[in-house]
Amino acid sequence: MNQKIIYYPKDGKPNLIANEWQVWDGERDEGGIPDLEHGFHKVLVPFHWWITRYKNADIIERANKGEIGVWFAADDDILKHSEIIEEGKSFWPVIGAHFPIFRDGRSFSTAALLRDRFEWQGEVRAIGDVLIDQLLQGARVGFDAFELRPDQNLDIALKQFDLFSVVTQNSWRDQRATIA
Amino acid sequence: MYKYDHIDQTLVDQRVTQFRDQVERRLNGTLAEEEFRPLRLQNGLYHQRHAYMLRVAIPYGLLSSRQLRTLAFIADKYDRGYGHFTTRQNIQFNWVELEQTPDILAELAKVEMHAIQTSGNCIRNITSDAFAGVAADEYVDPRPICELLRQWSTLHPEFAHLPRKFKFAINGAKEDRTVLLCHDVGIELQKNPNINNGELTANIYAGGGMGRTPILGSLIKKDVPWQVLPSYLTALLRVYNRFGRRDNLYKARIKILVKALGPEEFARQVEGEWTQLHNATKQGKDNFSQAEWERVAKHFTKPSYKTLPALSDEQLQSHAESRLDANEKIAFTRWLERNVRPHQVPGYAPVILSLKPHGTAAPGDATSAQMNAIADLADQYSFGELRVTHEQNLVLADVEQAELLNLWRAAKNYNLVLPNIGLLTDIIACPGGDFCSLANAKSLPIAKAIQERFDDLDYLHDLGDITLNISGCINSCGHHHVGNIGVLGVDKDGEEWYQITLGGDQGNDASIGKVIGPSFYANEIPDVMTSIINTYVEQRSTDEPFIETYRRLGVIPFKEAAYKNNGKHSKGAAV
Ligand code: HEM
Ligand code: SF4
Repeated sequence: MNQKIIYYPKDGKPNLIANEWQVWDGERDEGGIPDLEHGFHKVLVPFHWWITRYKNADIIERANKGEIGVWFAADDDILKHSEIIEEGKSFWPVIGAHFPIFRDGRSFSTAALLRDRFEWQGEVRAIGDVLIDQLLQGARVGFDAFELRPDQNLDIALKQFDLFSVVTQNSWRDQRATIA
Repeated sequence: MYKYDHIDQTLVDQRVTQFRDQVERRLNGTLAEEEFRPLRLQNGLYHQRHAYMLRVAIPYGLLSSRQLRTLAFIADKYDRGYGHFTTRQNIQFNWVELEQTPDILAELAKVEMHAIQTSGNCIRNITSDAFAGVAADEYVDPRPICELLRQWSTLHPEFAHLPRKFKFAINGAKEDRTVLLCHDVGIELQKNPNINNGELTANIYAGGGMGRTPILGSLIKKDVPWQVLPSYLTALLRVYNRFGRRDNLYKARIKILVKALGPEEFARQVEGEWTQLHNATKQGKDNFSQAEWERVAKHFTKPSYKTLPALSDEQLQSHAESRLDANEKIAFTRWLERNVRPHQVPGYAPVILSLKPHGTAAPGDATSAQMNAIADLADQYSFGELRVTHEQNLVLADVEQAELLNLWRAAKNYNLVLPNIGLLTDIIACPGGDFCSLANAKSLPIAKAIQERFDDLDYLHDLGDITLNISGCINSCGHHHVGNIGVLGVDKDGEEWYQITLGGDQGNDASIGKVIGPSFYANEIPDVMTSIINTYVEQRSTDEPFIETYRRLGVIPFKEAAYKNNGKHSKGAAV
């Protein structure tokens, strides 16, 4: 995982901040979620895991303390679970959306739906195979945090956001440029 | 002709900078080839059999003479002196160097051109009718909508990594010259006084495509007001982006999703998404505004036509009579018949310049000398503009009828007046095995051999309208599925074979051709064509075009004729 993430608030500037969130894949299940006392203190759990445990008092308590967020896999149909997501919005400080490989654009639509349809105001973080050349698109559809794949050059990454001063369609971040 | 405003210009300039940086990172090794690949493809840069190939967009097929001169300049400076016009209103340069592509893009940007989204899994260059704005059968000029959607789709962030490529075609005429139903989305524009107060609306077809599984698109929504196209198309693409299959390259196109769900269910899902987008708090913000329309549409008003009398073909011929010798008379008459079309404005005609000389160059190829000459012709005879057709020819859209003879003479010097438009030798062909690394077989020598066999123009004119389309592999770049006669290159045990389809058609009665049986060797193809054509000639009733005879008789007589000499060559079962 990357020690730093790019945080790019909607009305601010992109900058590097420390990564506080561990992305957990939900696999090492016996002991439940990772030990938050040691290691990282905050964890993003897979949405499919959340669906089956979120009635659990311990989980709710930790979520209320701001220690638990969720991440969506590229093939999670988030509209199918809209009720759980509506409820979850009051617990999660951060939502992640995962790129299994950089050229899989499903999470762009997930982010757009979270912003347009669920009107989620909190952080949406790109996780997984996140590369420099996806940042611009991600920033426009609704992502405001990016955990890049660790081999990516963060200085070059930060420069991406200045590449274009105009856009020709509306998005979460900006309205299209018009003459009239 | 559309003129970039500073927004369009800034965007393409900044895109050049972005790509230059990506190429630099590739060259210094910080960007791996497999990660660079989708980026370069979204800029039309392929890696082919011999070299890099750059595909440049000619949005909805419209070019200025100045742009064409730049293409000629690029062909000379960065390539081998020619370019290849494709079926999707692009031009390809086959021999470019990776290091030089940013410079080529910078040259293009100077004349309001680019290579953005000419390839890759994104919304591709939007195609339309090469006769837009002049066709006598047009009811809506599609170009303002094409341009608005070009802008909307350019670097669209949500749809930058779709499951597969995504192609739009837009038509506004009675005759469909865009192969609307073979596109992922076909947009049929209309203006009907009974619908939406006579304002422009669109019927949306989805799920068409060629390739391994050819499917014609289905109507999924009628009468969409033009203003809401961005939200409707966003909804449609969002459904595809989320649910299109990504596990299998061959099943990733929208046609497979539409087929799997059924067009009604697909339409219902799009509608559900669209209702949300449309009714969301930002209601209306995505809509195209009247102001945007006006800014764009003012570039597509009519040029300053003179008031001229309309001339009939007979008048044109008799006018030319005294100035032509006997041979020329026949050639000119044929040219008037095949290469000159009706126009909306009296005294004018659109003229098709053929890029299908018999047996010499690849269909759709133009040399830089031809490009420069055509640019001059456009300046002299057609308000400095021209068009690229789906059939890989060029069009001068606004020629004064009284100038046709002069134009014919001038274009003849550049081998551009072959009167074979719509005839058997006006072949659509992909580059095939000579250039393309995906090919199973060559296309160009097959096209050449057929053109050599059918070199008699009298005979070709007698045969009338027949389309012949050739693809070097199942990807179907040559649109063989919708040729009246289709030829498909196939590979069997490392050898090149050719499979024939019959009965395909584009236009209003679009249909997918049927495979007639086992495939043939390359050297059999001219004979097979002769047998098929002879069958047609024997069986046709007066004035019946090939496709009608085929539809009346079915495949059997043609199939029998094609295989009559056979048994020794062709191999095994159909592939
Ligand atoms: C050498 C360069 C080329 C390469 C590598 C290439 C590659 C491909 C591939 C992989 C497909 C399959 C898409 C699919 O089934 O989903 C395809 C389809 C197509 N290509 Fe090409 N192509 C090339 C040149 C051309 C040219 C020169 C033309 C026009 C003459 C063309 C026009 C098309 C068209 C119309 C399709 C059919 C799209 C559909 O399914 O609707 N391509 N190409
Ligand atoms: S049909 Fe096949 S051989 Fe021809 S250009 Fe397309 S991919 Fe290449």
